[in-house]
Amino acid sequence: MNWLLTKIFSRNPTTAVNYRIILPIILLCFISLLLLKSTSAESSLIISTFSRQLLWLVLGIFIFIGSQFLRIQFFNEYAYHFYIFLIIAIMGTYFMPIKGGSQRWLIIGPLSIQPSEIGKVLMVFVLAKFLSDQRENFSHLRIILITILLAVFPALLVFNQPDLGTAIIYLAITYPMLYWAGVRPYYLFTVVAPVISILAAFDIIAFYLWMLIIIVLLVYSQPKLLEGVTLFILNISCGLLTPYIWDHILYAHQRYRILTFLDPLRDPQGAGYQIIQSMTAIGSGGFWGKGLGQGTQTHLRYLPVRDTDFIISVSGEELGLFSILIIISSYSFFIFWMLVYAEKIRNNFSSLVMIGFVSILFVHLLVNMGMTVGLFPVTGLPAPFISYGGSFLLTCILMIGLINNITNNEI
Amino acid sequence: MAGGIGLRLRHRRRVLFLILIVLFLSISFRFYSIQILDYASYSKKAANNSVRKIIKTAPRGIIYDRNLIPIVDNRPTYGLSLIPIDVTEEFNYHLFEKITNLLEVEIKSKINYAKKKFSRFKPFPLKRHVSFEERSRIEENKLEFPGVHFSEFPARTYPNEAKLTHVLGYLRTVTDDVLNNADSKLNYQYGDVFGFNGLEHIYEKNLRGDDGVEFRLVDIYGIDHGKYLTDREYEIIMGEPLVLSIDSKLQRKAEALLADKMGSVICMNPQNGQVYAFVSSPDYDLKSFIGPIPQKLWDKWNKNSEKPLMNRGIQGTYPPGSILKLISVAYALDEKIIDENWSVPCNGAYKYGDRTFHCWNKNGHGHVDLTQSIKYSCNIYYYHLIQKIGFENWSKIVSEFGFGKRSGIDIPGEKKGIVPTRKYMNDKYTSRGWGKGSLLNFVIGQGDLLVTPQQVIQIMNLIATSGKSFEPHIKLDLQSEPLQVSLKNSTWEFLKDATFAVVNDNDGTGKNANSKWGVVHGKTGTAQNPHGEDHSWFSGYIELPNKKMMSLAIIVENGGKGSLAGANTARELFDEFATLNK
Repeated sequence: MNWLLTKIFSRNPTTAVNYRIILPIILLCFISLLLLKSTSAESSLIISTFSRQLLWLVLGIFIFIGSQFLRIQFFNEYAYHFYIFLIIAIMGTYFMPIKGGSQRWLIIGPLSIQPSEIGKVLMVFVLAKFLSDQRENFSHLRIILITILLAVFPALLVFNQPDLGTAIIYLAITYPMLYWAGVRPYYLFTVVAPVISILAAFDIIAFYLWMLIIIVLLVYSQPKLLEGVTLFILNISCGLLTPYIWDHILYAHQRYRILTFLDPLRDPQGAGYQIIQSMTAIGSGGFWGKGLGQGTQTHLRYLPVRDTDFIISVSGEELGLFSILIIISSYSFFIFWMLVYAEKIRNNFSSLVMIGFVSILFVHLLVNMGMTVGLFPVTGLPAPFISYGGSFLLTCILMIGLINNITNNEI
Repeated sequence: MAGGIGLRLRHRRRVLFLILIVLFLSISFRFYSIQILDYASYSKKAANNSVRKIIKTAPRGIIYDRNLIPIVDNRPTYGLSLIPIDVTEEFNYHLFEKITNLLEVEIKSKINYAKKKFSRFKPFPLKRHVSFEERSRIEENKLEFPGVHFSEFPARTYPNEAKLTHVLGYLRTVTDDVLNNADSKLNYQYGDVFGFNGLEHIYEKNLRGDDGVEFRLVDIYGIDHGKYLTDREYEIIMGEPLVLSIDSKLQRKAEALLADKMGSVICMNPQNGQVYAFVSSPDYDLKSFIGPIPQKLWDKWNKNSEKPLMNRGIQGTYPPGSILKLISVAYALDEKIIDENWSVPCNGAYKYGDRTFHCWNKNGHGHVDLTQSIKYSCNIYYYHLIQKIGFENWSKIVSEFGFGKRSGIDIPGEKKGIVPTRKYMNDKYTSRGWGKGSLLNFVIGQGDLLVTPQQVIQIMNLIATSGKSFEPHIKLDLQSEPLQVSLKNSTWEFLKDATFAVVNDNDGTGKNANSKWGVVHGKTGTAQNPHGEDHSWFSGYIELPNKKMMSLAIIVENGGKGSLAGANTARELFDEFATLNK
């Protein structure tokens, strides 16, 4: 037992607070509370989302403090154990009753736990461990493939729950971490190129342009002849096969589902409805907004799931572009310092963990904001620190706590 | 770790931060374009979502009598709507049908139509003008009718015992024709009502108010969240009040006197043209026009041989009978064709050409002078007189007294009547030709000559004012045109004396009209009616000791001689006027 405690907890932790990281987060939490106070006005809940979020924040303070005492290397040493534990936990949800149309939760008595949520943090440890363990002069393609495989497996399990948003996060952290680990961008490009070829194949001009870009990049990167030719042919065939698969293998309703997913505004009565209402809310806010509690879209319930998915729309409507710029600036400031610290940290594992966490937060925010203005499909990814929701907030605070721990102890 | 980690990290950090800035800038630009560039269009969209425009129908102006007693007022009536989304399986169509007479199939098809065409959340009008009783019954059983919604708007009510039916007129719902052609200032909307006839029509511009516009906030479920403040909001402006010259008490008396009879009574002030009472009988029920009038009732009124829809005061045309003789007298005296002493022997009949014309008194009146000719209403006298006057002169003077043209009263649909001229007779009787004998009929007020009661009263107005009267009007403060005939003073004096004698001498035909309250002048008339009993005329005026004056014209259809029905009614009205104006 004592042995386990010394593994988990640091012997002599430094417990300072890094205000460059904490201040923007406090500002975001404050904005979140303002918005939830506004949306709670006509809430029918006995305990409003505002009060609940406040409660979660208080709990979050304890998590933050607690995380200062953790030994970061513990996560390095046991990363693969966590990985197996995560896979089993996610598979466990398959045997649980369906809740709200999906099976994401492990329900034990009164407690329901969403393993894929903490899985975001665990996946960062797993990938950081794998990448920091590599020797110099590794095979770039092999590392890329293994990293992606490590991520794809749990991502598929989560996608099947179904939880598209979390699956995207599992995949999205791989690229920044690979890049940070020193994989040549050229190889990153070759892996992602066929996917872009498939997308470009929908438009003949886009496809030709894309092929031109590939040729230029191939010439510039000077790979082996066989490698270059293979890559080029692979991309061309992906592009050429796409229209055939699209027209002959996919059914009409499948085509429609893909199209409306990618462009919800095609279906204003269905998938596009929420986005149209969200854009209306944001657009009608102007620069300064209508004022807290004054948003008609928000308060007359034209705006769907306003506490969680579309909280940014509430901000846009009631506090205007002004508040959106504050949110984006806070994040930029926060991420800027995160990257600076990641560069300074001598320990490769911790450095990669920082990059993984930054990626999680950034992708969440980007996808969520993009969704509210019709740039991205509705995936159900919340805005970190702003959207209402306990387990996600606590996960985020845990990440911030670990980041604070790393910056204190490893620079 | 992977190749060159320490050396290249600074570069990678910059690349990552650059990518982040580019992505953040793109998304910021997206927000900028929505919130700043497209602000107007999204604002409008948000408003369209949640702000519902409510038109509040302005009440029409109240109509008062001359003593500011209301004759036409407003009361709330109810519109019944259904909110389609709320109409569930539990809706009790059977009971609903019992109360409202709306069939289940009808309601269902309407709701389905509304769901397709309008928002499922917006009330869809089912029936206008639901009575208070109907509404109460529905409210009592509200749980049986989910989705029922009432709106309130004003309708006319008639609180006074005086009905004034034909003068007031009624309202109807605007048709496409009215919507397209009406003055845009009136701002008619679908479903509005407008004055279709009577004063409601003539004074539409005054009586019609300005509808109010209010904006309400409505959530996605259609639930009202209070007022939405905007400068596009308008308060209801009620229509202007309309004060009439009518005295509702005198009017009530006149209506009572004419009840169960056919005919018309007009009472007015000869000195300024103000109409005190105006009755046409039989009438119809104005209350039936609140809401859509049942087709059956409308057909019944239209087909009724007693013509209740006709306003006899200005649309009923009758031969004027002996009253018209006064005009020939006036002309002959004024032009010195005869003097007061010119007399004619009356033996009850007069041969003209191959036709024999009779006096109403078959036994004859013996030697009759001018005054007596009026007092006894002797016809023979006028057969002689007209031959001295001539057709053209007669037509001219009759026209000058206001016959053959509209009196100018401020209610619509007035008829001109007919004053025959040589041209008129030639046109009418082209092939057959017409005998000069027609003229003998005209002079005693019979034959082709047709007049309205509103024209007849003008003879008395002119006599009472020595030729300086006014056109009639019902709106109290209306400055009406003068109605003037210039004759010598002595002529007017003679006419006053003669009409005084008709009523005040014991053997005068109009003695039944005499009132003890003032000085009464008048003349009886009998309009020959080939279809039945003759129509009874009386026209005259009273001057009270306090110099107040009232003239009147009465026709009672099938009332027999004017000396009876007409004169008796006149006396009661003179008495009433005297009582009211002591």
